Amino acid sequence: MAKEYMNIILADDDEDDRLFFTDAFDELKINTKVSTYNDGVELMDYLNAEDAILPDILFLDLNMPRKSGKECLIEIRDNEKFQNIAIAIYSTSSSEEDIEETFVQGANIYIKKPSDFTLLKKVLSDVITINWQYHTSGLNKDNFLLRM
Amino acid sequence: MKINSLYKSPVFLKIVFILSIFIIFFISAITFKHLTSIRKTSYYVEKSYHVSLELERLISYLKDAETGQRGFLLSKDSSFLLPYNKSRIKIEKSFNRLSSLTKDNPEQQKNIDKLKFLINKRKNYLSKNLYLVRNKNFNNAEFINNLEIGKITMDSIRGHINTMDTIEDRLFKERTDDYNYTMKFTPIIIYITLLITLFLIVLSFVKINKDLIRLKSSNAKLVIADEASKMAEIVGNFGSWQYDIEKKEYQFSDNEYRLFGCEPNSFEANLENFLKYVHPEDHNYVVENITKMEETEDLPSFNYRIIRADGEIKYLSGIARSLTDRLGNKILIGVTNDITQEYAATRLIEERNRELEANNKELSAFNYVASHDLQEPLRKIQTFISRIEEKEAEKFSDSGKEYMSRIQNAADRMRLLIDDLLQFSRTNKTEKVFEKANLNTLLENSKQELSQTIEDKKAIIKNEELPTSNVIPFQIQQLFTNLLNNSLKYSKKEVSPNITIEHEIVSAATEEQIPGKTKDKFHKISFKDNGIGFEQEYADKIFVLFGRLHNKNEYSGTGIGLAICKKIVENHKGYIFAEGKPGIGAVFKVYLPIG
Amino acid sequence: MKLNLKFDLNTIAKIHLNHLLKESNLNYKSIGFGEIEILEALSEEKIVELSAKLLENGIEIVENQKSVFVQKIKDAIIEMVQNPDDITVKSSVYLSEKLNYNYSYISNIFSEVTYTSIENFIILQKIELAKQLIISNELTLTEIAYNLNYSSVAHLSTQFKNTTGITPSAFQRIVSKRKELASKK
Repeated sequence: MAKEYMNIILADDDEDDRLFFTDAFDELKINTKVSTYNDGVELMDYLNAEDAILPDILFLDLNMPRKSGKECLIEIRDNEKFQNIAIAIYSTSSSEEDIEETFVQGANIYIKKPSDFTLLKKVLSDVITINWQYHTSGLNKDNFLLRM
Repeated sequence: MKINSLYKSPVFLKIVFILSIFIIFFISAITFKHLTSIRKTSYYVEKSYHVSLELERLISYLKDAETGQRGFLLSKDSSFLLPYNKSRIKIEKSFNRLSSLTKDNPEQQKNIDKLKFLINKRKNYLSKNLYLVRNKNFNNAEFINNLEIGKITMDSIRGHINTMDTIEDRLFKERTDDYNYTMKFTPIIIYITLLITLFLIVLSFVKINKDLIRLKSSNAKLVIADEASKMAEIVGNFGSWQYDIEKKEYQFSDNEYRLFGCEPNSFEANLENFLKYVHPEDHNYVVENITKMEETEDLPSFNYRIIRADGEIKYLSGIARSLTDRLGNKILIGVTNDITQEYAATRLIEERNRELEANNKELSAFNYVASHDLQEPLRKIQTFISRIEEKEAEKFSDSGKEYMSRIQNAADRMRLLIDDLLQFSRTNKTEKVFEKANLNTLLENSKQELSQTIEDKKAIIKNEELPTSNVIPFQIQQLFTNLLNNSLKYSKKEVSPNITIEHEIVSAATEEQIPGKTKDKFHKISFKDNGIGFEQEYADKIFVLFGRLHNKNEYSGTGIGLAICKKIVENHKGYIFAEGKPGIGAVFKVYLPIG
Repeated sequence: MKLNLKFDLNTIAKIHLNHLLKESNLNYKSIGFGEIEILEALSEEKIVELSAKLLENGIEIVENQKSVFVQKIKDAIIEMVQNPDDITVKSSVYLSEKLNYNYSYISNIFSEVTYTSIENFIILQKIELAKQLIISNELTLTEIAYNLNYSSVAHLSTQFKNTTGITPSAFQRIVSKRKELASKK
C-alpha cells in the first residue's frame, strides 16, 4: 500500500456500536487508523476543515440526530474534494428501497450491522480488502458497489 | 284496427254527434222534399181532374147551346134561345176557367187558343144561323152551309177537347205515377237512415256508458291514490310540488308545507315564500338552481338547508322532472326530501372512517417504529453475547456455556421475528405508489435474488410471459421472491424443486374463489411447485400472520412470508389462494386486477 | 450538453505517463503494461523525486519483485478476462502458460502479496467487466453472460450477487438512477 495505514472514520451516535467498531479493528491485523464521530454535524465539521486528513473509507450510520447519514452522504458526494472517499453506509435494517436509495445517492457500500462480533470483523475486513483491491487494480471506483 | 282506435278516440263522439245532426237534416230535407212533392202532385191531380171536368162542362155547354139552337131552329120558339144564351155565358165562363187552369201548361194553352178559335167559330156560325132564322132566312144554302160548318166545327171541338182530355189524362197519369214512385221510395230511405242513426246512437251510448264507468272508477282510484300519496308523504317525510311552466304558478302538497314546519296552505305557494325558509347561506345556491330549472324545465337533484318556522335547521333534497299532461300543458313535478337524518348519519360515518384511518395510520407507524427500534437493543444483546462467547468462553462452566447458547438461540429467534414484523409493517407503511411495471422483469429480479438458493437446490424455474401492469414494483417483486422462496424452502428432500409460473386473464365470474361475481377482469398468476405440499384444510391458515404448519426446527422461518404476500396482494386489491396436495406439491394463485 | 464517456484506462495511463516523463525530460521505453525502462541511469534523489511526482498522479513505482510479478499476473488475468473468446483453456492453464510458471507458484505469490486468491481476483475482474457492459446498455444480461463465458444468466447473477451483494438488475437500476440524478443537478 502507498501509505502505511488506512484511514477509517465512523460516524455513529450509538456508543455501543462505536465500541464494537473500534474493538473489531483493533483485533484485525490490518494497519488502520480509526476515528469516530458522534453525529453528522461533528463529522461534516471535521471533513470540511482546511487541514482535514480525508479518510480512505467513511462508515456512516443513517439514524443520527442533528444531521442524518443520508444528509451527510448527499453533502459529501456533492463536494469534489471528497470524491475519492469510499463511503460505506453502516446501519441497522432498512427497506430495500431505502438501501437502493443510498447507492443511488452515491454510497459505495451498504453494511447491515451484524449481530455477531466475529461476523463484524469479517465484514470489516472484507470491506477493507475489496476497497484496497479497487485502489490497486485500476478498477473504476464509480462502479464500486458492495452490499453486505 | 283502425276502426277500433277510432272507436276509442275522443273524437268519436263528436263525429257521431255531427253525423247524427247531419242525418237528421238530411232526413228532414228529404221529408220536406217529399211532402212538397206530394202536395204538388195532389195539386196537379186535382187540377187535372178539374180540367177534365171543365172540358166536360164545356162540351156540355156547347151541346146545350147547340140543343138550344136546334130547338129554336126546329120550333122557332124563342124560349129555346134562353138556354142558348145562358150556355153562351157559361161557355165563356167555363172557357175562362179552363184557360186559367191550364195556364201552366204551354201545350194545353195552345190547345186552348185553338179551342177558343174553334168555339168562337162555332159560336159565330150558331149566331149566323140564328140571325138567319130570325130573319126567316133559314132554308137557304148559307144556312145549310153554316149548319154543316157548325157541325164540323163541333166535331173538331169535340176532337180537340178529347185531345185535351187525353193530354190532361196523360198528365194526370204521369203525376200519379210520380207520386206513387215517390211514395214508394221515401219510406225506405227514411227507414235506412233511421236504422243507421239508431245504430250510431246505440254505439255512442255504449261508449259513453263505458267511459262513464271508467271515469267513475278512475275517479274513485284517484281519490284513494291522492289519500295514499298524502299519507306516503307524511310517512316518508317528503313533500311534493308542481310548477306550471306556462302559467308560472306553484302548487305545494300538504306535506310540503309541513316540511317547513307550517300548516298546509298556511302561505301562498310561490318562490318568495319558499325562499323565506331557505338558510341564508344557501340562498344564492337555491336561487341559482331554481332559475336554471325554470329555463331548462328540469331540476337535477340538489341539496340545501332550511330554517323551519320553529327555528330547527333541516337538510332538504329537491328534484323535479317535467311532464306534459294530456291537455298539452307542461308541468314540473318536484319532490322535496328531508335528508337531515341521512346527512347526519353520513357525517357520522365519515367521521368514524376518518378516526379509523387515523387509528390505522397510528398503529402502522407504531408497528414500524416498534419493530425498528426493537432491533437495536436486540442486536446489541446478540453482539455482546458473541463477544462474550469469543473472549470468555473458557471461563464458563458447561451449564454456563449451554445457557449462553440457549440465550443466543432465543435472541436469534427474536431477531427473526422482529425482522419479519418489520418487513410486514413495511408492506403497510410505504406510500402506495403505483406505476406501470413489467412483471417479467420483477420475476427475473426475484430469481436473481434467490440465485444462490436456486443453484444450491438445482431448482428449475419455468415461466410463461407475464404482462405489464399498474403495480407497486418493490412489493410485487417481494411477492414473487416470497412465493419462490417458499417453494424452494418446502421442496422435497432429494428432489430438485420444479417451479412453474403461469399466467392467464380471467373474469371474476368464472373463478369460484373470488367473492362477488362481477365482470371484473384479473391477471391470474399461478405458482406451481413439486414440494411437500400441505393439507387443503390449512389453505387459509398459511396466510395468517405467524401461521405455520411446521415446527421451527424442521423448517426455518417465522411464518410471515405468506402473510406478507397476502398483504401485498390486498394492497393491490387482488386475491391470493393456495391449494396443496401433501406429498405432491402446492399451487399459489395470485389474482391482480387489470387496469 | 450531456456526453457519456467510456474510459480506456490503459491508453489514458500510457499517455499521462508519457506526458509526465516528458516533463521530467526522461526518455523511456515501454515494455508492457506496468513496465517501462528509463533509458538513462537515475540517482537516488532523482528516483525519489520521480516517485513522488508519479505518486501524485496515481502512479506507483513498485519495487518489490514479488509485487512486480503479481502485477504481471494481474495484467495477464485482466487480458484473459477481457478477451474470453480467445481463451479455450482453463484459466490456470492459461496463466501458467502465459507466465511460464506452474500454477501453484503463481497462486501462492499472488495470495501472499494481495491477501486474496487468483480465483477471487478473476471473479472480481469478470464482475467489473460485467458492470461496464451493463452500464454501456448495449447488451442484454443474457448476452453479457454468454460473452463472459458464464453457462447461464443465473450463473452470472449468482456470482454477481455473491461478489457485490446486489443483483445485476439492481445494479442496472442504481446506475441509471444515478445518471438521472446527475443530469438533474
